[in-house]
Amino acid sequence: MNIAVNPYRHVDEMHPWSDREHLLECVAVTPEAPDVMTFTFKPNKPNLWFRYQPGQFVTLEIPAEPEPVMRTYTLSSSPSRPYTVAVTVKAQADSIGTRWMFDNLKPGMALKAFGPLGDFSYARHPGKKYLFVSAGSGITPMMSMTRDMSDRAPDSDITFLNCARSPDDIIFRWELEAKAREMPHLTLGFIVEQVSRGQLWSGLKGRIDKAKIALLAPDFLERTVFCCGPAPFMATVREALEGAGFDMKNYHEEAFQPVKPEPLVVVADHADGEQPTKVKFAMSGKDGLCAPGHTVLQAARAAGVRIGAACESGLCGTCKVMKLSGEVEMDHNGGILDDEIDEGYILACCSRPKGDIEIEA
Amino acid sequence: MDLQTTALRQLKNRREGFSLEQPFYIDQDYFKLDMETIWYRDWLFMGHDCEIPRAGNYFTVQVGDYPVVIVRGKDQVIRAFHNTCRHRGHRVCTQDKGASAKLVCPYHQWTYDLDGSLVFARQMGENFDKADFGLKTAHCESVAGYIFICLANEAPDFAPVRASIEPYMAPHRLSEAKVAHKTTIIEKGNWKLVWENNRECYHCAGNHPELCRTYPEAPTATGVQGAGDDPFIADHWARCEAAGLPSTFKMDPSGQFRTARMPLIQDAESYTMSGKRAVKKPLSADVPISHIGTMLLFHYPTTWNHILGDHAISFRVLPISAEETAVTTTWLVNKDAVEGVDYDLEELTHVWTMTNDQDRSIVEENAFGIRSPAYEPGPYSVDHEGGVMQFVEWYSNFMIERLQGDKARLSAVA
Repeated sequence: MNIAVNPYRHVDEMHPWSDREHLLECVAVTPEAPDVMTFTFKPNKPNLWFRYQPGQFVTLEIPAEPEPVMRTYTLSSSPSRPYTVAVTVKAQADSIGTRWMFDNLKPGMALKAFGPLGDFSYARHPGKKYLFVSAGSGITPMMSMTRDMSDRAPDSDITFLNCARSPDDIIFRWELEAKAREMPHLTLGFIVEQVSRGQLWSGLKGRIDKAKIALLAPDFLERTVFCCGPAPFMATVREALEGAGFDMKNYHEEAFQPVKPEPLVVVADHADGEQPTKVKFAMSGKDGLCAPGHTVLQAARAAGVRIGAACESGLCGTCKVMKLSGEVEMDHNGGILDDEIDEGYILACCSRPKGDIEIEA
Repeated sequence: MDLQTTALRQLKNRREGFSLEQPFYIDQDYFKLDMETIWYRDWLFMGHDCEIPRAGNYFTVQVGDYPVVIVRGKDQVIRAFHNTCRHRGHRVCTQDKGASAKLVCPYHQWTYDLDGSLVFARQMGENFDKADFGLKTAHCESVAGYIFICLANEAPDFAPVRASIEPYMAPHRLSEAKVAHKTTIIEKGNWKLVWENNRECYHCAGNHPELCRTYPEAPTATGVQGAGDDPFIADHWARCEAAGLPSTFKMDPSGQFRTARMPLIQDAESYTMSGKRAVKKPLSADVPISHIGTMLLFHYPTTWNHILGDHAISFRVLPISAEETAVTTTWLVNKDAVEGVDYDLEELTHVWTMTNDQDRSIVEENAFGIRSPAYEPGPYSVDHEGGVMQFVEWYSNFMIERLQGDKARLSAVA
């Protein structure tokens, strides 16, 4: 007699994935545009689902040679479809981590991930109407939010602007056009820098400016704006909005920039203009950066400084280090004594810098 | 004939008032028998509460084959755990002492709470239940500042020990003291030789010039009989008891532990070269009179003690092998006493540092001689070595009872 084991579970019968215990297993690699791939992951254990907010990012530990690197990517997937997560990444010429993924990551392989984290989400900054402005792969958090809204609230009012080098470089173009048919108040606007000969392009050309924003989103002053792309791009958008008298408290931006090959710094997504803090590693003689919301341990890894760690939840105390200067916010689970805190020790895994710090590591 | 039967026969046919046969002092199999029959079954003094004053403070100790960690919990309860990780057995705490929010095995970071429960073990799969793999506990009791553990599954009743020694110890408030100094020496001799040497002062006159400045050699003071008939001692007891300090000689019927408060020589108050107090601050505010002599406590097989007006000294005996024994000496003073201000460490520790070293030398030479094929058990001095006879009697009784018990159990199932 055959007894079929049915792996099917409803989501409410499953448990949330946890970065403390579970790896991400690659299940699909999807080309999106030239040099752009989507990597889709499921948990490496069954009966788990992903809980995050659309627009949040994860940090992947990528086993590149000679040293593993930590890279932060916005999730392009939607938490409304919680069985998998996906990152959509563009390979820059000088990239290490992303290039490794392009060359090596295949279904069946598992990566360690941290997060999801981040504040860049309409879940955190809800508005009546939205203007999403992005350039290049800065489209990914916008896509995550749009996908989420199309499942949860398809009548959401979104004006979705994306800037790309050419029509072929527009990521998710066909999916967005399909969504625009289903979502009555989703308005698309693409701006490209160049169109090849013979290619049909009826959209706008050139670079983004106040006039183009006003043309594509005439009521932009009433919208809550999410902006993501290279720093000069975001500066342009910011200046355009400010010049038009936009209430900047409704403006949210996410630094999206290719990760520099050296030093190995986690360039995380910065919400609300928060800047990374400096972390000085006294014994290693290295300087690193810690993205907002990230821990000292994550900053250490990004800077190539090894700090022993096991539970990564403030319990086992393995990552105890002496803090030489600066302030952190420590959210431990009993893995450190009050006496040790008084002496200046912190647990790197659960301490987030409140400014520049120096630690003995 | 097996070892147990041989040892049992030798003990039952022991010539009373004579030292033991050679293998009891030098043979590794007899040593193992001692460990299994006495050390792994009885209450053992390990150290003082004041050594681990705060939650997360711990110290480790090795009892024969058993590594043990003793730790103060967040609830201030002192517990003893087998210091062997439930994962693959690595020692969880590898330092002599320390302070840690959790007990974390250095091998794979299995993390135990201070109550021994396993709280973190990385990636052990879904069917792994942490509740099944807490640190194994050992029995642990704290009385009047002294921590005792017992490694047996079923520990002997500790209540009689507590009831007997607590009234004598409590006025000295040792749980509130601090460690001024602690040393461990290794004596190359069997643990029973260490005890036999301790239990008499027949040897003092010729060996302990420093100690003999203050400590009486009279067997009534050092031994186990005749103390009450000594008018000097009787006067001392009367004066101390009137001041609320329990003082008379009191020994458990089993002979395993004893308390008594003995006077020092003449005006001596402390074990110093001058006989004067080494520590300006009295050890305890609950002791209203001076010249209280020394409160003597022994508890076989691990500890003898001297508690004075200005400081206290505890001794811990731990066997290492048939012919090696570790002796740890701890000097306790008032927790507010400041070194260099209220006491001079050299002055405080000089007499017993010298005495310990002299005793070490005696024990080692004793062990040397016993190794000779020409050694045969010799007679103890009835006048001076009543304490030694009592110790050997205790040892012999405990061994015989348990070896017979084990034999009886075995024959019942055979």
